[in-house]
Amino acid sequence: MSDSPPILSLRSVSKYFGGVRALHEVDLDLHAGEVVALVGDNGAGKSTLVKTIAGVERPDTGTIRIDGRDVRLDSARAATVAGIHTVYQDLSLCDNLDAVKNLFLGQERTTSWWRGRSLRRRDMEQQANAVLDTMSIRLRSFTAPVGSMSGGQRQGIAICRALVSDPRLVMLDEPTAALGISQRAEVLDLIMRLKEQERGVLVISHDLKDVQQVADRVVVLRLGSKVAELRRGEYVSADLVSAITGAHEGAA
Amino acid sequence: MSAATPAPGHPPVPLSARVIGAFEGRFHSVPVIIVLAAIWLFFSTRSDAYLSSQNITNLVLQIVTTAILALGVVFVLLVGEIDLSSAVLSGVCATVVANAAVSSGWSLWLALAAGIALGMTAMLVQSLIVVFGVPSLIVTLGGMVVFQGLLLVVLPPEFTVSVGGTDYAKIASSHLPTGASFVLAVLVWAGYAVSRWRQVSSRKDRVWAAASTLVVGAAVLGGVTVLTRADGLPLPVLILGALLVVAAYVTTRTRYGVHLYAVGGDRDAAQRAGIPVYRMVVYSFLVLGACAAIAGVIDAARLLSVSNSSGGGSLMLNAIAAAVVGGTSLFGGRGSVWSALLGALVIGSINNGVQLLGYSPEVQNFATGGVLVVAVAMDVVITRGSLWPKRA
Repeated sequence: MSDSPPILSLRSVSKYFGGVRALHEVDLDLHAGEVVALVGDNGAGKSTLVKTIAGVERPDTGTIRIDGRDVRLDSARAATVAGIHTVYQDLSLCDNLDAVKNLFLGQERTTSWWRGRSLRRRDMEQQANAVLDTMSIRLRSFTAPVGSMSGGQRQGIAICRALVSDPRLVMLDEPTAALGISQRAEVLDLIMRLKEQERGVLVISHDLKDVQQVADRVVVLRLGSKVAELRRGEYVSADLVSAITGAHEGAA
Repeated sequence: MSAATPAPGHPPVPLSARVIGAFEGRFHSVPVIIVLAAIWLFFSTRSDAYLSSQNITNLVLQIVTTAILALGVVFVLLVGEIDLSSAVLSGVCATVVANAAVSSGWSLWLALAAGIALGMTAMLVQSLIVVFGVPSLIVTLGGMVVFQGLLLVVLPPEFTVSVGGTDYAKIASSHLPTGASFVLAVLVWAGYAVSRWRQVSSRKDRVWAAASTLVVGAAVLGGVTVLTRADGLPLPVLILGALLVVAAYVTTRTRYGVHLYAVGGDRDAAQRAGIPVYRMVVYSFLVLGACAAIAGVIDAARLLSVSNSSGGGSLMLNAIAAAVVGGTSLFGGRGSVWSALLGALVIGSINNGVQLLGYSPEVQNFATGGVLVVAVAMDVVITRGSLWPKRA
């Protein structure tokens, strides 16, 4: 797995807000077909790191490489073009639009300009069907507004939206936070399918049980620095907790 | 947007909720059509003249100004903003066109272009202030007062310009010959049918496409039949129809339309999806500016003059009421351009009937106000998805 260059590679990325150090010299590698979890206490810098990769915040120092090439992620669109898609915690769906319109929001398929840039609805429905199928999501209707759907279905649409642009890397911000037990299992299933499709997955989560279940590697942030990187099977829950809270420092 | 509320999918959905859900989608125009039918039924039992083709033609001519202005208002409501200034602005634009075409002797086309450009420029300025962060309610309230002043500035000292007997007045009095009207109607119908069938994806959808093609055909051909009974299709009706068709196409079949609804539905989500939110808001106000200018010119051509009362009176409130009664949400993201026509028909039908039967004018106020409140109450129910408020 480590022969090819990693999809995403951060080297000593730092970010300051005024005098506050939000990220300090963070290194992170992510390979295709790998699920990496990003954990840490509130204020550890998880959101800032996600925003940096999503192109919302620009790092003050450090480099971001995608497939071994240096990139500048100046905007959300630049990140999308680079093959990074983010599923936000609030899902960022438009409740008044139907599933197909939400899936293609901002990247609608249209006819050429001399035919009026009209929507190619049938193409979009077919592609939506294909994408939803690969993630085994069933919807009752393509025309019903997503506001009327269940939390699991909405989460599924939000993740499938990430797949419409066929990204290399999918970031999920607290994907299971607002969900019930069975819906949570569904979402963890979706993450495993993303992995099977040889995409990189970066999951931000508070839920250590979820993290241990899906992540190949866990990256722990504390006070803006990466304090631990744990491989699956090489740690127990207590290691994770002590890394997050900093309890092991006294012992070391 | 609140966090996703996990709604269990399997327990049976209560009937009331399903009916309400249907009104949010395919049948969103049904409530207003029922109201319209009830109004027509009521007045036609009181007077045989009410549903005569003569009176219906009158009614449609009476609502053209309101409907065109309401069409612009729909665009602004869809992105979640509001406008109070467009009626007065329509008076200003009509006056400028009258000054140029009648007093200064410009060609009518040039004068019209200048009027529309003025309307769009005025709205551009207001929309930029809205984008800057001032609530649109305040910006356009201030704009309304400013435009009232501007109207006095552009009017000549005698505060009126007569346009009777000029090319300007012909905008309201011209007709498209009956034969040509029917050809046009068939073309519109065919265009709709082709565009609707290209969207069909499933067998169930084919049934809906057939049904809607028949309904649209009946509406277009029936409307043209009634309206051409005298001497052809009046030009103002043709302009309204053309604007509605273009607006319907743009809002439902293009990328611009999807983005319009997305911005009204959830601005943050739209922003994150890479939609230029502020640009969409500005575009909506520009559409309203153009609609206001066209509505003002047609109104002045019908009344044969512009004066310091142009665009005043109840026009603004009627236009907003029409958009809302027709089913466009005040909260953004829901509604259609047809609500401008349907809502204007409801309000116009009440006014027309009250005047035809010689009821006292307060009846008109009571009825229009009542319909408005009922319509918004229905909007609230549909937005909420349940009949009764949640217990606090």
